[in-house]
Amino acid sequence: MNSTSSSPADRIVFEDVSKFYGEILGVNRVNLSIPPGITSLVGPNGSGKTTLMNLMTGLVRPTRGRIQILNYRTDEPEKLFKILGYSTQFDSFPKGLTGFQFIYSYLRLAGRDAANAEQLAWRAIERVNLTEAAKRNVAGYSKGMRQRIRLAQALAHDPKVLVLDEPLNGLDPLARAEMIALFSEAAERGCHVIISSHILHEVDAISDQVILLSNGYVVAEGQIHNVRSEIQEHPTQILIRCTRPREVAAKMVESEATIEVSIHNDEKGLLVKTRDPDRFYLALNVLAVTGIEIESVAPADDDVLSVYEYLIGNEEVIR
Amino acid sequence: MIALWRDQIKSVVRLESKKTFFARRGLWIYVLAVLPILLFIGKAIVESSLHNRSVRMLQQSEKPLTYQDLLAVKSGMTREEVIALLGKPPLSSHWSGRRSHGQDVVPPVQHENFEYSDGENVLFVNLSDGKVDIIQIREAYNLGDESIMFAGVFQFFFLRLAVFFGCLGIFMNLFRGEILDRSLHFYFLAPIRREVLLAGKFLAGLLATCVIFVTSEVLQTVALLWPLTPRLRDLYLYHNHGLEHALVYVGVTVLASIGYGAFFLVAGMLFRNPLLPAAAILIWEAVNPFLPALLKQFSVIYYLKSLCPVDVPAANGTPPLLALLVSNPDPVSPPVAILGVMVVALIALYVSSVQVRRLEINYTTE
Repeated sequence: MNSTSSSPADRIVFEDVSKFYGEILGVNRVNLSIPPGITSLVGPNGSGKTTLMNLMTGLVRPTRGRIQILNYRTDEPEKLFKILGYSTQFDSFPKGLTGFQFIYSYLRLAGRDAANAEQLAWRAIERVNLTEAAKRNVAGYSKGMRQRIRLAQALAHDPKVLVLDEPLNGLDPLARAEMIALFSEAAERGCHVIISSHILHEVDAISDQVILLSNGYVVAEGQIHNVRSEIQEHPTQILIRCTRPREVAAKMVESEATIEVSIHNDEKGLLVKTRDPDRFYLALNVLAVTGIEIESVAPADDDVLSVYEYLIGNEEVIR
Repeated sequence: MIALWRDQIKSVVRLESKKTFFARRGLWIYVLAVLPILLFIGKAIVESSLHNRSVRMLQQSEKPLTYQDLLAVKSGMTREEVIALLGKPPLSSHWSGRRSHGQDVVPPVQHENFEYSDGENVLFVNLSDGKVDIIQIREAYNLGDESIMFAGVFQFFFLRLAVFFGCLGIFMNLFRGEILDRSLHFYFLAPIRREVLLAGKFLAGLLATCVIFVTSEVLQTVALLWPLTPRLRDLYLYHNHGLEHALVYVGVTVLASIGYGAFFLVAGMLFRNPLLPAAAILIWEAVNPFLPALLKQFSVIYYLKSLCPVDVPAANGTPPLLALLVSNPDPVSPPVAILGVMVVALIALYVSSVQVRRLEINYTTE
């Protein structure tokens, strides 16, 4: 994630950031440079995901280090929140407000005039499909509705940076799909979308990059594929679907790059473990020209889940 | 930028006012504000019923009486002289009482009580053996006494307890209440300077305390004036500084809200438990008369007492230490007093502004 494809002004930068709550570690010695796109923070409870997000948004101050959000400082909320929207995990709201008033008041606080605030509030509410419930008191909302109204608040002013703490919690599958589409759309527009989640398969599907956290430390960061390729102690697993798996297996075993081969139960594929994927793919090309029909070749552990399991273990992870 | 801050402050005030005025946990503040009104309404009802009794007595009198007529009765006058002067009493009673005079047997004393009224004031005449023994006039309204009573209620209940604890309830909750409700992050996620947020919250608290306590103050004055006749009301308001005093009391109430409000705002950010700072500030304010001159100036009550238009005299026999609490031996001039409250409030608000910038959202530790 330290690529130089974009300038520091387009990045979220953590420089040697630590946060301690008294003697309790929040995060320690975090160095990050996050480019635009969807970035997922992945880690078990207590790993520091929310602390990292709260640091990013100035809700807590770092004990040490410096944070820069597209060249904005986190201790200047009057500037920072013009370009940043944060959907927190805090499930409480100012008392007595309807969903509409919640968004409208937020926009008025931001200094928008009444007409503009009303227009933006309705647009945000429509984006999260909450129009019908907008005039109801937030206190009577279901968990999923409260999640959506928080997302609407974060999205309402079209921020360049969206920080979303467990944004899919409490949402039904349809709503999840809609929200994921919203995040992807924002990322395509060049926004930074920072998402924390335990739900790895969803994160895996939408993330451009991941930050893996454990016990307050960043244990890996970058694009999933790059992170995976850096994990040397676990061989890469590749799934090959073909008509004559045993024949392919025999050829693969001859290759020095291959560590282990197993035939799939349906006899229509095989799983190959290799420490040198590049040599493996060369060998496979040679095999392909001999006339064996190969339907598909796909990495079997080049995803967040596998990377997470290799680096952190599988506790508290929802697949 | 100023226009933006003004709009943001207005938004904060709108949001906060709704919460402050209608919060269920703030109901007791209304009770504090209503108590002195009830006291004056009760007094007005009693005085009104006494006034009606006086009017009935005047109607039952043989001839119309004036206050001068009532004053004409002197000690030693005979029963007949009193009746000749004022007519047959509308209310009278008699009884006989024994008296011992050493070993001698003395005939019982014949007592009579006459009551006369000019429609407002009541004359009590006690006759013993047909001669005026005791004369007492209960004046319907003594405007001086009324002023002192009002000043006593204002200084010792309204200012030191009602406004003090009202400000505690409202201003301490502006931040602390939202931390306990876990909703402060709503403000902290908006593009608004923390100092502007603080100003908005302070003004919302001030609006609430001023509306509640100034309304109470005005209603107390109305209740005080209610039983007065129009003539006495005019006399009190326009010739006895009544209107001027009422306006000064309103001003002192507003200043008290500013001073105590600023104190409790900062206390709400520095302390988790409001009882500790409340007790500390209450004690600090109470011991103010005993503090050295320099320390006295860091108190709100010191300036407010100087601004109160009527001094409450200490009753005879009041211990000197207690008398110090009542009196204000070294008052400052009104401009200095107003400036003093403002400076104390500004210092507290400055500390609050530093604190609000440092404030973190960490609900789990609360």
